[in-house]
Amino acid sequence: MSVVEGTKGLSRVKELYQDRPHRVKELKAEGRKVIGYLCIYPVLEMMTALDLVPYRLFGDMREPITKADACLPPMVCPFLRSSLDLALKDKYPFLDGMVLAHICDVGERMAHIWRTYKEYPYFYFMDVPHTVHKAALEMFKEEIKGFQKSLESFTGKELSSERLKQAIGVHNDQRTLVRELYDLRKPDPPLITGTEVLQVMVALASIPVEEGNDLLREVINEIKQREEKPQKQAVRLLVWGSIIDDVSLIETIENVGANVVMDDICVGTRSHWPKVELTPDPLDGIANRYLEGIKCPRTFREAALDQGGKNYMANLENRFGYLKDYIKGWNVNGVILQSVRYCDTHGYEVPAVRDYLKSLGLPSIYLEHDYSQSSLAPLKTRVQAFLEVLG
Amino acid sequence: MVQEKKRAINRLETMRPIRAEIDETYKQSVEAVKAGNPIAWVMVNMWLGDAILHAMDIGAVYPESYGAVCAAMGAAQSYLDRCEEEGFPTHMCGYARNCIGYTARMMKDLGGKIPPEAPMGGMPKPAVLLSRGSSCDAGFKWFQALARYMDVPMWTLEMPVPGVKEGLSEGVRERNVEFMAKELREFVSFLERIFGRKMDWDKLSQTVRDLEEIGRVWRETNELRKTIPCPMHSRDFWTCMNGPTTPTGDLKKKLKLYRDLYDEVKHRVENKINAVAQEKYRVGFTELPPWHSLKVFDTLAERGWNFVVETWGYHPPVPIDLTGVNDPLERLARISYSGFTTGSFQGAMQAGEYMGFLGYPNLEYAKEYKLDGFFLHPLLSCRAASAHLWYVQDRLMQKLKVPSLLIEGDIVDVRMFDLADALKKAEAFEEIMDHYKKVRREEGMEW
Repeated sequence: MSVVEGTKGLSRVKELYQDRPHRVKELKAEGRKVIGYLCIYPVLEMMTALDLVPYRLFGDMREPITKADACLPPMVCPFLRSSLDLALKDKYPFLDGMVLAHICDVGERMAHIWRTYKEYPYFYFMDVPHTVHKAALEMFKEEIKGFQKSLESFTGKELSSERLKQAIGVHNDQRTLVRELYDLRKPDPPLITGTEVLQVMVALASIPVEEGNDLLREVINEIKQREEKPQKQAVRLLVWGSIIDDVSLIETIENVGANVVMDDICVGTRSHWPKVELTPDPLDGIANRYLEGIKCPRTFREAALDQGGKNYMANLENRFGYLKDYIKGWNVNGVILQSVRYCDTHGYEVPAVRDYLKSLGLPSIYLEHDYSQSSLAPLKTRVQAFLEVLG
Repeated sequence: MVQEKKRAINRLETMRPIRAEIDETYKQSVEAVKAGNPIAWVMVNMWLGDAILHAMDIGAVYPESYGAVCAAMGAAQSYLDRCEEEGFPTHMCGYARNCIGYTARMMKDLGGKIPPEAPMGGMPKPAVLLSRGSSCDAGFKWFQALARYMDVPMWTLEMPVPGVKEGLSEGVRERNVEFMAKELREFVSFLERIFGRKMDWDKLSQTVRDLEEIGRVWRETNELRKTIPCPMHSRDFWTCMNGPTTPTGDLKKKLKLYRDLYDEVKHRVENKINAVAQEKYRVGFTELPPWHSLKVFDTLAERGWNFVVETWGYHPPVPIDLTGVNDPLERLARISYSGFTTGSFQGAMQAGEYMGFLGYPNLEYAKEYKLDGFFLHPLLSCRAASAHLWYVQDRLMQKLKVPSLLIEGDIVDVRMFDLADALKKAEAFEEIMDHYKKVRREEGMEW
């Protein structure tokens, strides 16, 4: 499907959602270099500052995995398998480079496999520590410096501190705008559906940040002015867990009688909530944002010993306290925890998140799926049953 | 008089006192806790960081090893079931599920007392949980999950995980070693606060030197296994592999035991004594074996399969020059980073291979140990040990024409390993190994 010239707001979002590479192909034709990346740890500000176009890669839960079977087994994350499968099927001929990161065990292994079987003019593997220890933050800052050097070498340009600060500003603008968009989910009924929000998030990951900011402004204005609102439902849900890059699951939930009003996923708040603090050395702010600021279970956190580090509830508060703000601010009365099968970092987390939610008096359900369309159908019944209990 | 059936694998005699020493040290740890001494639950080989515990007289128990014990003694199933009841997904690490189930039983049912059915005296409640940020995600997520059952402080020891090309970039090695030394210093401070005692730096220096020496002897022992026929089977390797990396017990005594082991293997080499009766196939084993079904190796030994080398990550680090490095923390950092994590990077880069730690060493092993094939054992509950094996299979074939047999299983959960099916596939695999031996020769390879 081609994108219609001049479309704006939600129409453009839908077009981009359905034909993600459309815009980057245009930019590529104009001479811009497009860098693919997975997950939310590669530093976008640096790519933007060097006039590169970062393009986030997702999987495709509608496409059977065939080629990746030969090098990544079925007992690992189906999302990562699907992502690699698409690359092996040459779905990204427009990429000039790739940045992959040490996000989890399989993500790390897959990066090396990807690099072996797909050659790009540029490739970087970014190490990301698993803790937020002081030494880890220092090490991560050095790692980011290494990433900067590699980008400078690839582009033949030197990245000035000023240029980087400008890019930080533009990306922070986007984070502010996303929060404005999420504020539109606070009324009852929300002014925008969970499905629409996910489409916006996917669209933002497909275009340069400046264009994304313009798009967000259009969408926010459109939503504020439109008369047709989502139907009010008895249940307002937060969806937590591993990546969701296809609207099917959210649609399924919303179609059986709930408003999805908030999320804690990496195509949503996890990728957009934390901002980069403008520090004298911008790399300090960047390191802190990407390691400490992003709340993904792949990073170990614990309350300091003098802040109750031995105590389970104190640790839960330290790890999941932000969820309390989401729940209160968006008036959430139920939580769906979901994960792709074989995601260890989320799998270990589930009982603890449920304990925390229970301590807040909030009911929850855990759904596991194999990142395919067919695996979602059986979940519908479970969601319905959950909503009945809540309703 | 009934004649004892000769075993297909000729086990090393000197392996037995090492096993006994490991078991005895474990029992002493349990007794020490009963006597009121604190103990840590520790992830195996958190890049030798547990040398620090030894120097501070903090006892260590290794739940991963205990998972293998429970599996081998048929005690794991009830703990796996309990873990599932606690709401954890069933696809998670078998060791972790065993431990979580065990802990839930100990803490929720028995108020902190060791379950009476637990093998080898069980694992006593720890004073601290020490996990690792390297090797696998379970290495820290599993211990974090135990907080549901025990209000116990925890520390996760970091380790850089660079890519091959990035890791060889200018300045990266020194930067990462410096980071690790800092991280170790923070770790020491943490332990000092928890246990209210100071690090004995002289003792730590000695501990590190002892470990280096045990590692050196253990490495030389394994080098002898390149001999054809191979004098030492993987079964003996697995029995002894944790000794050089887990600094528990009397290290001087341990060193003596490993020297005895080396002498026996050397004696076998000199006298052409084989680990299996007739070495028809030299096979490498990648990842951990099915502890509950080790008889698979006896059956294969009867068919002439000799397992001569194992996963790089379980072997001692490659020797590096530590001249002038006197700080024991820096020594630990350098050994772990340069000898272990990135020890294969130079070779990998030259060969154009990007999976340095888990992938490329298998190619080196295939050449150095003159392997006919690999037995790759993906663990259905362990992504860290499995995700790369299909890739490894492809690289071995593409680059060296060495075939590999993929048999899925698990280290703890017996339900995931089909012994009869594995043996059937292994039998058929012999023809493939024979075929590729000819192919390699036709292509001018050495073996």
